[in-house]
Amino acid sequence: MASAGGAAPFWRAAGMTYITYTNICANLVRNCLKEPFKAEAMSREKVHFSLSKWVDGKPEKPTIRSEGSEH
Amino acid sequence: MAMAALRREGRRFATPLLSSPIRSSIISHSHEEVANGVRSISTQVVRNRMKSVKNIQKITKAMKMVAASKLRAIQTRTENSRGLWQPFTALLGDAPSVDVKKSVIVTISSDKGLCGGINSTSVKISRVLHKLSSGPEKETKYVILGEKAKAQLLRDSKQDISLSITELQKNPLNYTQNVEFDALKIVFNKFHSVVQFMPTVSTVLSPEIMERESEAGGKLGELDSYEIEGAETKGEVLQNLAEFQFSCILFNGVLENACSEQGARMSAMDSSSRNAGDMLDRLTLTYNRTRQASITTELIEIISGASALEG
Repeated sequence: MASAGGAAPFWRAAGMTYITYTNICANLVRNCLKEPFKAEAMSREKVHFSLSKWVDGKPEKPTIRSEGSEH
Repeated sequence: MAMAALRREGRRFATPLLSSPIRSSIISHSHEEVANGVRSISTQVVRNRMKSVKNIQKITKAMKMVAASKLRAIQTRTENSRGLWQPFTALLGDAPSVDVKKSVIVTISSDKGLCGGINSTSVKISRVLHKLSSGPEKETKYVILGEKAKAQLLRDSKQDISLSITELQKNPLNYTQNVEFDALKIVFNKFHSVVQFMPTVSTVLSPEIMERESEAGGKLGELDSYEIEGAETKGEVLQNLAEFQFSCILFNGVLENACSEQGARMSAMDSSSRNAGDMLDRLTLTYNRTRQASITTELIEIISGASALEG
């Protein structure tokens, strides 16, 4: 548990948001499943989108984040 | 050879008599109407149009079926995901009219077209929100999900776009982008039924604002009455909660928008199939009229020719 008492948890100090933290935890839990359920859980993990930041009204090069499960 | 010459002569006589759209069809004769050469009004053009309209009707019907099946699949997911943010509203209250300095408007739209007017309504509402919440020392930025809103907002609000995301295929629950904001307004089309979609705005506040609100009392003030386990402070809990709330609402918004998109596409394709059917009926009438007119003309010529021979 967070024994730091009031200080930020380690992942927040490392720059992660709560959502990234929970996603990584969810990935770990999914990896613990047994075979038939593992396949359907893995299918839920895939995400695909292309992100592009805009600066001054111009889009920069889009980066395609296609995170499948590599495990 | 003689027949061909006669045919060519007939064409030269026929062209000034007939109206221009049919004129081009004389050049592309079909063999049934030619008979013994001379003038005959061709129904080729009308028949081509009928064929293409019928094909379009088949395609739109197929698209409607596809949209209906996709809708069924997404609808259950959407209704389940509604339960994700309802506790948040019960706990923290929904605060659409909180006065904040920096606000971000997240516009959710579709990537593909042919889905009726839902994308335009979302963009219209985002523009209105932008107007409402800009003034001195307030700034609003857009984050755009989907190609269609990007194309529309690009035209006049270029400076205000901070992020744009496209090609959203599956429905991810991983939102690792971090945009700084005070209040986040998510604009999407909420799915009520197959033919009704309400453009909705959901608001997510940043943790500092929530703290401020909770000091001010009201619904958020009840947060103090909950005991917080562990060694985290209330501020941290609020921060985690805020991020989770943001991701839940965004997830639900994307799903609902996808549902509305499929539903809108279904109704758009349905009305276009019906229009194609109407067009086909009108074309059939024109076709029959032209055909009967040509038969009557031939009969008249034959009969007058025959009577000229006798008399």
